[in-house]
Amino acid sequence: MTGVLAPGARLGMRRILGAVVAIIGVVIPALPLGPLTAQPPFPLVALWAAYGWASEAPSTWRTPLFLFALGVLHDQMAGGPYGVFAALYVFAFFVGLFANRMMSAPNLLAVWGGFAATCAATSALAAFIALAAYGRNASALAFMETAAITALLFPLARPLYMPSAIGPQRAGAAEWR
Amino acid sequence: MARRRGAVRRPGAQRLIPLGAVAAGVLVIAAIVLILWRGRAPSDQAIVGADDSAAAIGQVATGPARDAEGVFARLGAMWDAAGRVRALEAENRDLRSWRDMAQRLAERNARFEALLRMPPDAFGAGADLTRSIAAQVVLDSGGPFTRTLVANAGAEHGVRVGFIAVNENGLVGRVVSVGRRSSRILMLDDYNSRVPVMGAASRVRALAAGQSSRPPELLTQPTAPIGPRLEYMEQDLRDGERVITSGDGGVYPRGLTVGYAHRLASGEWRLTPSAAQSPIDFVRIAPYDGLETPEREGVVADPGPPVRRPAALASAPEAPRRATATPAAPRDAPPSLAAAPEASDAPPSPPATEPPPPSALQAPPQ
Repeated sequence: MTGVLAPGARLGMRRILGAVVAIIGVVIPALPLGPLTAQPPFPLVALWAAYGWASEAPSTWRTPLFLFALGVLHDQMAGGPYGVFAALYVFAFFVGLFANRMMSAPNLLAVWGGFAATCAATSALAAFIALAAYGRNASALAFMETAAITALLFPLARPLYMPSAIGPQRAGAAEWR
Repeated sequence: MARRRGAVRRPGAQRLIPLGAVAAGVLVIAAIVLILWRGRAPSDQAIVGADDSAAAIGQVATGPARDAEGVFARLGAMWDAAGRVRALEAENRDLRSWRDMAQRLAERNARFEALLRMPPDAFGAGADLTRSIAAQVVLDSGGPFTRTLVANAGAEHGVRVGFIAVNENGLVGRVVSVGRRSSRILMLDDYNSRVPVMGAASRVRALAAGQSSRPPELLTQPTAPIGPRLEYMEQDLRDGERVITSGDGGVYPRGLTVGYAHRLASGEWRLTPSAAQSPIDFVRIAPYDGLETPEREGVVADPGPPVRRPAALASAPEAPRRATATPAAPRDAPPSLAAAPEASDAPPSPPATEPPPPSALQAPPQ
């Protein structure tokens, strides 16, 4: 495990592990295993993956497609409608691309701030989508709380999705120039 | 043949916008279109069909965890067995005195009800609990927006949309979609859940409105009148009192335990759902068709015996008689049934019977 998370570890293995963690983060809260597994950041672990992969591989179409499929799985677990979490996860990836470009300094605070901005933008979209998908009684407040806690805990997940040896912009920043 | 300039990208040239951003933009738009196109339909066939598979997977996935839970619970119980026995014996002594008092009150209440010829107000009056279906909860909604459960009983077991779900502690929710071997239950604390309730002791009506991650709000005046003000004896729920379903609207039967009312410092009332006192593992799904109103039943009402009018009144014109005659209310009728003057400018006379004092509405002394 430690070897996989090491900065010099193989990229493929780390991405597979990151994908497995993201899938578990979607499935575990849906199992009736008690209140502990429903606590943040479990329901929105996929946001870590979206942001981390946006910094590492911004020029692949597979990542947003995977996030879309993960969102559809989450929608199914939640009882629908399809598209809510799919839109949010892919949107987080989309915002993550821009956040990584803006937060160009390769230090933890910049990366952390970028993820916080991604969570804030995703929460804003969630507020609009909740009304369209769940009716006027729905509120995105719970989503915002969960996203805030997920953002606070982001440094713990950074070794998995963004190895500390590279800055967030190294892998993909050249493609923006 | 000339080639288009835009179709060829030189090796080493950088894209202005990454491919991932283009793909993400397209997929976000596709997802939003999907939401707007499908809408919120609990009975969406695609979701209902996939619920069966998800329920089967959930049942398999939760099996080891449930077994492990049992092991840990047994180990924890063994840790302080002697202390628990002592505590349970003390609790048992207390409960015996409570049981004697409950039996006395129940007998007294039964006599009162027989005296008043009240219809039975049993647990969930109107619900057919003899035909209830026991099911295991295999999936939770797992999201911050919705609060639903998936149980492993579906159409093959006789479950239908609209059935109510209860557990040993009280009302859990209502079945909103049914698959072949699974059913989805909308919980009380979902945003779109609205349950008519009332205080078991105060009899004050309210609406339990789900708040997702927070305890449901108890709206005592969901539709506050804006026009003429209505003066009435101020009543409110009591802090800590048991809240039951009122049966209004015909969606839930009357008398099911929903939870306990608690007042916040801001004055708002919140509901602590009783079903969620412990993790919801099993539910009973019971049919409830709702009570038919006389209009919907379509049965011609019995007009009763013909009214024999005195000869003196038989020849009198209709209008003056209606203006002067006030039908007397039966002595035992409640004040609301006491007839009011129909076409008179005079102030209404006091009801034939006095309303019970507020103290009479309180719980019996313990």
